[in-house]
Amino acid sequence: MNSGTISNRIRTLRFENGEMSQTELGRRIGLTRQTLAAIEAGKYSPSLEAAFLIAEVFKVDLQGVFQWKSNAK
Amino acid sequence: MSYREKLAWLSLAAMVLTFGPYFAFAGQSSEMAKPMPNLRLLWLFAATAVVQMVIQGVGRWWIRHKERLAGDLQPPDERDLAIEYRSVRAAYGVLIAGTILVGCVMPFNSGGWQIINAALAMIVAAEMVHYATVVFSYRRYA
Repeated sequence: MNSGTISNRIRTLRFENGEMSQTELGRRIGLTRQTLAAIEAGKYSPSLEAAFLIAEVFKVDLQGVFQWKSNAK
Repeated sequence: MSYREKLAWLSLAAMVLTFGPYFAFAGQSSEMAKPMPNLRLLWLFAATAVVQMVIQGVGRWWIRHKERLAGDLQPPDERDLAIEYRSVRAAYGVLIAGTILVGCVMPFNSGGWQIINAALAMIVAAEMVHYATVVFSYRRYA
């Protein structure tokens, strides 16, 4: 499988949405604050379902939250 | 630190504090060589297990109480479950290796409390690998 890097704009989106806390975002989608911190830091890749739920909270599409940068040449 | 990571640290500490001294004592050749049933060692193990359960019980109650007060007590999410799955898988490997060692190898050259303690040690080792993997995973994917 080709490798790549997943980045995200969750911190920015939280800021743009009334400085929403990680706890509040987590409560809305059923994730703990620690898991959201791990996702924001790029240390944990969420399930597709969780990714869609995050996008839904911020009312953007999936690529508005997560970006994929392939390492393949 | 998440609720479940705190529980894993507690379990690791309780095991080291109780089963560490037990196996250090039981591992002495004089104790191992005594004839069965060696009730002294049996009672020592029973006391060790009870102390370990008390530490776990009180510690878990305290951690849960603190988390509830802080409003951080939540059901496990997908990352918690993934970490639990990984840690159980690691512990299963240790348990299988221990079963082969104790059940298929040791009967040919050991007996009595050597086999019993080896079996107990493998169970404790599997549990420690379980909790250590949980702690490592929360640190690694924190």
